[in-house]
Amino acid sequence: MEPLLTLDGIVKTFTQKRGGKRDVQAVAGVSLTVGRGETVGLVGESGCGKSTLARLALKLIEPTAGRIVFDGEDITARHGRAMLPVRRRMQAVFQDPLASLNSRMTIAEILREPFDTHGIKLGAALQPRIRELLSFVGMENTDTTKLPPQFSGGQLQRIAIARALALEPDIIVADEPTSALDPSIQAQIVNLLLFIQRQRQISYVIISHDLDVIGHVADRIAVMYLGTIIEQGPAAAIMGSPWHPYTQALLSAAPTLAARRNPEWKRIVLTGDPPNPANVPTGCRFHPRCHLARDVCRQVEPPLRPSEDGGRLIACHLAPEETAEKGRWIGQARLGMPAAATA
Amino acid sequence: MSAVLPTARPRRSRPRGVLAPVALLVIVILIAFALVPGLIAPDSPVALNMADRLKPPSFAHLFGTDEGGRDIFSRVVFGTRYSLGVAIAIVFASALFGVVYGAVSGMARGSADNVMMRIVDLFFGFPALVLALAVAASIGRGLGSVALSLTIIWWPGYARLVRGEVLRLRERPHVEAARALGVSNLTILRRHILPFVAQEVNVRVTTDIGYALVAVTALSFLGLGANSPTPEWGLLIRDSRPYFGSAWWYLVFPGTMIMLTATAFSLIGDSLAARRGG
Amino acid sequence: MILSVRDLSIGFRRIGGDLPAVDKISFDVREGETFVIIGESGSGKSLTGMSIAGLQPATSVTSGSIRFKERELLNRPDAELRRMRGREIGLIYQDPLGSLNPVWPVGDQIAEALRAHGLASGAAAARRAVEMLDRVRIPDPARVATAYPHEISGGMRQRAMIAMALIAGPSLLIADEPTTALDVTIKAQMLELLAELQREMALTIILITHDMGVVAEVADRILVMYAGRVAEIGDADAIMRTPSHPYTAALMTSAMISEAEPKQQLNAIVGVAPGLGSFPDGCHFHPRCPLAQDDCRSFVPPLRRLGDVALACHHPVGSDTALMAEA
Repeated sequence: MEPLLTLDGIVKTFTQKRGGKRDVQAVAGVSLTVGRGETVGLVGESGCGKSTLARLALKLIEPTAGRIVFDGEDITARHGRAMLPVRRRMQAVFQDPLASLNSRMTIAEILREPFDTHGIKLGAALQPRIRELLSFVGMENTDTTKLPPQFSGGQLQRIAIARALALEPDIIVADEPTSALDPSIQAQIVNLLLFIQRQRQISYVIISHDLDVIGHVADRIAVMYLGTIIEQGPAAAIMGSPWHPYTQALLSAAPTLAARRNPEWKRIVLTGDPPNPANVPTGCRFHPRCHLARDVCRQVEPPLRPSEDGGRLIACHLAPEETAEKGRWIGQARLGMPAAATA
Repeated sequence: MSAVLPTARPRRSRPRGVLAPVALLVIVILIAFALVPGLIAPDSPVALNMADRLKPPSFAHLFGTDEGGRDIFSRVVFGTRYSLGVAIAIVFASALFGVVYGAVSGMARGSADNVMMRIVDLFFGFPALVLALAVAASIGRGLGSVALSLTIIWWPGYARLVRGEVLRLRERPHVEAARALGVSNLTILRRHILPFVAQEVNVRVTTDIGYALVAVTALSFLGLGANSPTPEWGLLIRDSRPYFGSAWWYLVFPGTMIMLTATAFSLIGDSLAARRGG
Repeated sequence: MILSVRDLSIGFRRIGGDLPAVDKISFDVREGETFVIIGESGSGKSLTGMSIAGLQPATSVTSGSIRFKERELLNRPDAELRRMRGREIGLIYQDPLGSLNPVWPVGDQIAEALRAHGLASGAAAARRAVEMLDRVRIPDPARVATAYPHEISGGMRQRAMIAMALIAGPSLLIADEPTTALDVTIKAQMLELLAELQREMALTIILITHDMGVVAEVADRILVMYAGRVAEIGDADAIMRTPSHPYTAALMTSAMISEAEPKQQLNAIVGVAPGLGSFPDGCHFHPRCPLAQDDCRSFVPPLRRLGDVALACHHPVGSDTALMAEA
């Protein structure tokens, strides 16, 4: 697949001012490629750096190290006006639709802002274009003179998506696009994102803590933990047989309804608190919460390496030898299928 | 001293429902005083009438008369223009300059912001009275030098307020969304940040007018402001001092006007703040 | 029956007529069970839960009856309700940071619940606070008791809040969206903890959530609320196996994304839930219902039994086949 967006060795260090100056590495060397028309899902828990990575990809913040390449061009050092042509092709959708729209602007003003910003003068064609955008996202007959607070969350997320589509981008980076919405609305937004991709062949980077959503929409999944990618591969491989103990814990925490009601089903409950980027453990970043951890894990940080079959990237000393079987079992048990083998 | 400085405001409880309309009425009356004093005041504020010196309040002279036989009510009405007018001018000038300065500083961030804020600190820490004395010494005593010196110490409050708001608002998702769209910094400031700062500034301006009025009259009282026979309120109180024992009204009515005006603006500011919500 | 709610209505006072938010709902909660109220924003689920604890907003008007252990709770004096809260009814919220006082050590806040109810004082209360922190599986409870809320992690704060809710020994715990703000692995820990505490302390739990996954895991019985009314109520297994109300079915579909064919359209219901004051006539769900017919638009469906559940629907999912089976 032809690469559209490439993140290469991205590092982002924040300086924490509270409680004595110290550097916190939110993203610690992440490489990721998004192909044309591809959906990459980025999962992880709070503090894993997934949202920081999204903001880096969108060039809303500057990486401390690493390169960002968009459609063959290095855009790492581009700023301001020089970024405009890239921004036109790379759009964003955020978690909280009400907060991400200016509450003092009417829907019409919000939807014309992309055109104004990029100097596209539509004149009399502007209003029909806005109507067309709205109806494309399922918001026909919207009163465009209303303000955002007069709409529901689901409607606002559609409007935010319409704004992202206005300039016909090649890629949309969506940070938790369904997380703030009610369950029946989440499904609508997932459907809309899939519909748009089928119509427009655009690429997505979708960031979420919701494995169900990621598993449904993504072609490829990258799992982040404490600023690094610990496992990455085709969605079917990651969801069907996760290798990394952390991916396994994540998946087992969110099984199907059927599996949850099955009294024989047991989830892996991780002990300990979510990791803190200000206090990164030595060796494997996950070892304090890993039930398989042994000396090598405590001492040596495992590199993200391709698996022997080339099907995925994995950062675990013990994978796949000691983890693959359990992964397969979780993948099946999660779907409520009879477990082929015991863990 | 403390009356002269725009110090931290004490915690005030939310005004009761009836107070805000009363405060509004007071302000409307004050505006009428300032705009058309000639239609309201029965007498000239300056013409002497020695026959009527230091007369107590009566129907002919609501607030009594001063040592020159002038109607104190008329002097107060004509004085509104000076006392309140200068206070409003100080606050508007401070707000205008402070908003621009704070917005630039907040958007610039980094070292430019740092330097700009150190400058603000410098002005903020300046003693008002010393500054007023210095200004009066260099350009002469008068309301002009009061306005200048108070503006110099007043604008940093707005600069800080606005910078803080800009820093807070620029982290808002809708600003981030605008940046992702490629919207320029100037447009972000104008369209996505300042409209949200405006409410804060409006509240502050309204409340500050009361404080500025107190500051202006205080400087006049100390002899650094208006010159006789300008009927400026602080000056009226200054002039009343020798007669305090014999003519209480001379001090009480102008003093009450200052208090009433400051309270009215403060109350309106509070009700604006309460209505502002999120 | 530990709790009986009958014809509970909650409205908000507005000029020109009250806005109904909860419309004559009735349900029972049995001793020792986990009763889950599920619904989306605006369904009235939190209002219902809060009114059981006597914490409905001051601007609301309530009618009906809430009987807890044979005592009427609705519209009782505040002082009486305050005595019950903590002592007999414990509460936990979504946001632990918001419900802990930032300038007070965690242990003192937990002990305060004992002092407020006159159950213990001084050193005894402090000791029991540490014990309670231990019971909610906080490692090194003595140290955490002296820490301030901002010094401990989010998961620990959540546990501390549970400790505070349970220290005075309530028999009923109302948990309003207790896992919504949590990461999946922490959410899993929290659900395990609640289940263990329920066994150890013989708790009845009313859990308010919009997350079907949570429901599937812990619920004995479910109340599905939509736009202020009961859509469906009954045994959790029965409802999850064969949801009869079209709204419940839709919620199930949304929760079963993992079972759908990847990258294919999900079977989502259209539209959005109505806001306060814009509830439609007839069945509140009819504008979004794929099965709606004329009667749904004009008549409010009564709550009626259908096997192990009761539901308010004129045309339940699969009712045609059910009728045929009867014939």
